[in-house]
Amino acid sequence: MNTTAVTKTGGLDPVTVEVIGAAMSTIVEEMSETLVKAAFSPNIKERRDCTASLFDAAGQAVAQDEGGSPLHLGSLMGIVTSIRSRFADDQIHEGDVFIGNDPYTGGGSHLPDIVLATPIFVDGTLAAWAATLAHHADFGDRGHAHIFQEAIRIPPLHLVREGVAQEELLQLILLNCQVPEEREADLRAQEAALRVAVTRFGELCQRYGTATITSACDELLDYTERRTRAAITDFPDGEYQFEDLFDCPELDDELTLKIRIVIAGDEMHFDFAGNPPQVRASINVVWTGLYASVYYAVKTLIDPDIDPNAGLYRPIHIEAPRGSVVNCEAPAAVNGRSETCQRIVDLIMGALADAVPTRVTAASNGANTGVHFSGRDQERSRDFVYLETIGGGSGARSSKDGLDGVQVHMTNTSNLPVESLETEYPLMVEAYELIDDSGGVGEFRGGLGIRRRVRVEADDIHFWLDTSRQKSQPWGLFGGGSGASAACVLSEGAQPIDHGYSVLKSGDVVSIETAGAGGYGEPCGRDETAVEQDLRDAKISADTASEYVKSQGSEK
Amino acid sequence: MRLRIGVDTGGTFTDVCAFDETTGAVHVRKVSSTPDDPGRAILAGVSELLSQVGDRSITDVEYFAHGTTVGTNALLTHSGVTTGLITTRGFKDLLELGRGRRPHMYNPQADKPVPFVPRELRYEVTERVRHTGDIETELNEQETRDAVRALGEQGVESIAVCFLYSFLAPQHERRVAEIIREMLPDVHVSLSSEILPEFREYERLSTVVTNAYVGPVIFRYLSRLRERLAEDGLSATPHVTQSNGGVIPFATAEEMPVRLVLSGPSTGVVGAAQICAAAGHPDIITFDMGGTSSDVSLVQNGEPKITSGMELEGRPIRSPMLDIHTVGAGGGSLGWIDSGGHLRVGPQSAGAYPGPACYGHGTEPAVTDANVVLRFLNPEYLLNGQMKIDREASVAALRAIGAPLEIEPEEAALGMLRVVTANMARAIRVISVQRGYDPRDYALVPFGGAGPLHASRLARELGIDTVVIPEIPGAQSALGLLMTDVKADFMQSKITRVHRDKPEIVDTAFSELEQQAADWFDEENIDCNDRQIVRRLDMRYAGQNFELPIEVPTKITDAEALATIIDQFHVAHERMYGYRLENSVLEVVTFRIQAVGASATIELTRSEMTDADPAAALDSVRDAYFDAETGYRECPVYRRDGLNAGNRISGPAVIEQMDTTTVLLPGDECVVDALGNLVITIGDDS
Repeated sequence: MNTTAVTKTGGLDPVTVEVIGAAMSTIVEEMSETLVKAAFSPNIKERRDCTASLFDAAGQAVAQDEGGSPLHLGSLMGIVTSIRSRFADDQIHEGDVFIGNDPYTGGGSHLPDIVLATPIFVDGTLAAWAATLAHHADFGDRGHAHIFQEAIRIPPLHLVREGVAQEELLQLILLNCQVPEEREADLRAQEAALRVAVTRFGELCQRYGTATITSACDELLDYTERRTRAAITDFPDGEYQFEDLFDCPELDDELTLKIRIVIAGDEMHFDFAGNPPQVRASINVVWTGLYASVYYAVKTLIDPDIDPNAGLYRPIHIEAPRGSVVNCEAPAAVNGRSETCQRIVDLIMGALADAVPTRVTAASNGANTGVHFSGRDQERSRDFVYLETIGGGSGARSSKDGLDGVQVHMTNTSNLPVESLETEYPLMVEAYELIDDSGGVGEFRGGLGIRRRVRVEADDIHFWLDTSRQKSQPWGLFGGGSGASAACVLSEGAQPIDHGYSVLKSGDVVSIETAGAGGYGEPCGRDETAVEQDLRDAKISADTASEYVKSQGSEK
Repeated sequence: MRLRIGVDTGGTFTDVCAFDETTGAVHVRKVSSTPDDPGRAILAGVSELLSQVGDRSITDVEYFAHGTTVGTNALLTHSGVTTGLITTRGFKDLLELGRGRRPHMYNPQADKPVPFVPRELRYEVTERVRHTGDIETELNEQETRDAVRALGEQGVESIAVCFLYSFLAPQHERRVAEIIREMLPDVHVSLSSEILPEFREYERLSTVVTNAYVGPVIFRYLSRLRERLAEDGLSATPHVTQSNGGVIPFATAEEMPVRLVLSGPSTGVVGAAQICAAAGHPDIITFDMGGTSSDVSLVQNGEPKITSGMELEGRPIRSPMLDIHTVGAGGGSLGWIDSGGHLRVGPQSAGAYPGPACYGHGTEPAVTDANVVLRFLNPEYLLNGQMKIDREASVAALRAIGAPLEIEPEEAALGMLRVVTANMARAIRVISVQRGYDPRDYALVPFGGAGPLHASRLARELGIDTVVIPEIPGAQSALGLLMTDVKADFMQSKITRVHRDKPEIVDTAFSELEQQAADWFDEENIDCNDRQIVRRLDMRYAGQNFELPIEVPTKITDAEALATIIDQFHVAHERMYGYRLENSVLEVVTFRIQAVGASATIELTRSEMTDADPAAALDSVRDAYFDAETGYRECPVYRRDGLNAGNRISGPAVIEQMDTTTVLLPGDECVVDALGNLVITIGDDS
């Protein structure tokens, strides 16, 4: 019925496509829920550092769970293509599950992100792919000079072949992990999520017919492309540039990152020429990470409701020099790539500030502050690896303050509850709070950074901090001030942090501070009651408050 | 002479329902709600109903139960009281930091929920408990007094206290409560160890703050209503529905207000569950479609499914509640064409004003307009003629969105119904498929003004073959209240490893809770024969972080009984996640007991099944548009109040009544059962 509607592909009316699209989204949500609930490691079960996706038979992303991380979009982008380039069609069967994590041969954008993917066959024909990605918090106490130091590299391989688990491969992988019981259980949870996808997708095909589902997938991508192009058309054509300094504890010197964006009609071109060559540190970004960062920024700026599928990619063109920090080649280390990815988004915001001033935000905290503790937990007689990524200030907006203390841009993981963390690891959290006065001033204030103070309760605990904005400050826009820098302070007598690393003993206290965010607009424009409320809430100091008053006085 | 009265306050109407225990008759009265003072409509409704029954006064009422949206509304409109917070040193910002995620992954304009306690009213005191429950640092009483004094000066009416691990060692929180009561005797106090003795500090904090914020509002509402009812002569103890679907006396509810936040919606679900169970449909999915949103929930074997928490506008509330899922799709949801050329419906809604185009003020098409265009809804008037309908306005609105798609208004209207049906089906998949239940095993029970209009279409989308529509979909909540059990939940978080050879560990933990339940039964004066205990364990494999609820039917006295429970967990895990880990250690995280005091049974009057011919109820015949192939076709319209038990109607047909309209699609077969419900068997063609 109702077939007279205007159609573009496959003879399907838009209503049927909309209905099937809703069903696809439900499937990826259910996959993700299954993964989180069945997982064992705190990083997945509590912090939800994972993502689920569906792909068409050719490997184009059709639906992605929006509860996951935008960076995972990129990690999953190449997975099906990589599997298909490694295995001929007659080597891919119903009941297969592939595993992979290597950024250079397919899989994640850094090694802890392990991807499991399965082909979905309907009536004996390959109809789609499902994949789950989970950040396995393992591989602690590693070097990051090149990728061989960072963890075991797994190209796409059969973990399950036609329903039969490939035990030998699993044993090889687990022997290379520090917390193998967790890894094995988490991989099972990922498999459980894939089974959900196979079942649900099969049901969908049964209801609508496989041909209808396949053409609905095509149309969903075309539809997203149309919406993306329509939105880009609203942006003023032109060439926009921006550059910024980038620091991280591993590097002695700051790097200059830059971008040039050309908007022409309904297409956008992102040119990363002139960025520094890849470095002997963990912050290099493989192409999937770069693409994910750009796609994230575009979706955020043009229309947050656009489905995150491959149709979004089509009007976007990206060029970056091979072997640079934003498009690295093997064997560059990549574990801390999200620091750089966060800044790629800030660069895009900065570049487009004049083009679309009401859509961009001032600079956010500019890091994905990763705090890693690992070692032997004597009390519980086991090895442990604990990873937490701490949010910070989010950039002020054209009509609102920035958000205080949140995950920004390329990550959106949950924190680990203190009551869960202390039960699992020899650590104690002494404070978890906003940093007073750390947001940039402005008509709209930048978000506040976070302070997290952790006391170590065992000896020989390896500590690694990857972060950024310790040497510079997140910038404001249109007269807004900068946010406060990030910092890390150790208690007296603790081994000082060298290039991000230290070895801590029982009783040492680490205080990690993330950056605040930039403000938006001249401080003299700030509403007086907002200044007063911030002062009463101690979100700004008395000095800052009087600066506001002074700026307003000079205005009058 | 004995009457039982149920009152359900909704946004538009307050429904009052009475059951006459001497005659078995049910009486219903509908009055307009009075949102500024909901009690006024309640008292008016009760008094009107009593005169309707005739020769009865409020002194004849021996049972009074009430479902209220006062708590939900106070939360949604942010009209709680000025609230202070005292936390462990270093954690006063946890209320804002939450779990660290931003509210929307891709929308930088989205905002976090405004905390119910601003930062200036949040104080830290020195104290610390370890994860073992041992005291690391004693409570600093001087700091506590300073904080309480400051909060007093800042004019708080309510204080929440939340310390780390208070569910293991509540003594510090209790001491703070003593100090507050001593220094600020009029201030309402909420302790996290009493409101929610469960682990995960942020969820506990958010819940206790919610309790503190709306507590005094609910307290005032209930105590005032209690007084007014008593003044009018009510001698029975008034009861109110909790979010868990059970009723408790007002006085008990006032102690734990957070457990009333879903009182209103859960009343509807319990009503549907009771009525449908009586009609022989114990397994149902309820579908309450209103103007701006729809609530769905699942009932198995007459028991609504329970969950341990929800998020309301981004703020977690953990308390036992019915698993009700809300989706922003209702009769007022607006259709629009997006930039990619797709027809979308909602989440924007026409609201009360301008309302759907057919009400005469708006120009954008709402779902209601689609139903008017297709003539499923009466194209001239609604609510028994109280509201005029302008069908031409609906047609114009649908024509406008049909134009870019080059389709006629009727096809655009059908398209809107298909899209909104898909949105609602998605909500139902969340509470069924995603929880491991197959919707095809359930009957769909629509209520709310718009539910019965869409039920047949929705059932087809989900593969459901039976739809049951209660006689008075609007008043069933009030009726259900008369059949609801008195319920209380007791819980204790204590992570406990399960050893097959140590069954007594489980039993010891339950014994303490059972004692609390026994005390509660005594307080409530519940007859020994009416007392029931439901034991539940939240279990998981050691290392996991989400638990599955496992029912424990008997006391665990030996290894064999424990082995049965362990096996049940493996089975449940396998059903949910597709695998089991036979050799893994199992943990109990929370021990739960639900104490149930069975309510007096109500025998609803069953009518004789008469002859199948519904001709007596035929009102008219109008052309309605069911699909593009056939276009308009003749469709009989029946009056619901003219139908008798046993009448049979084949689709296509429309059945009208004052507060709702039921649509039978071609192929549907409907029979009126002995209780007056419409039981629809969905046709095969879809």
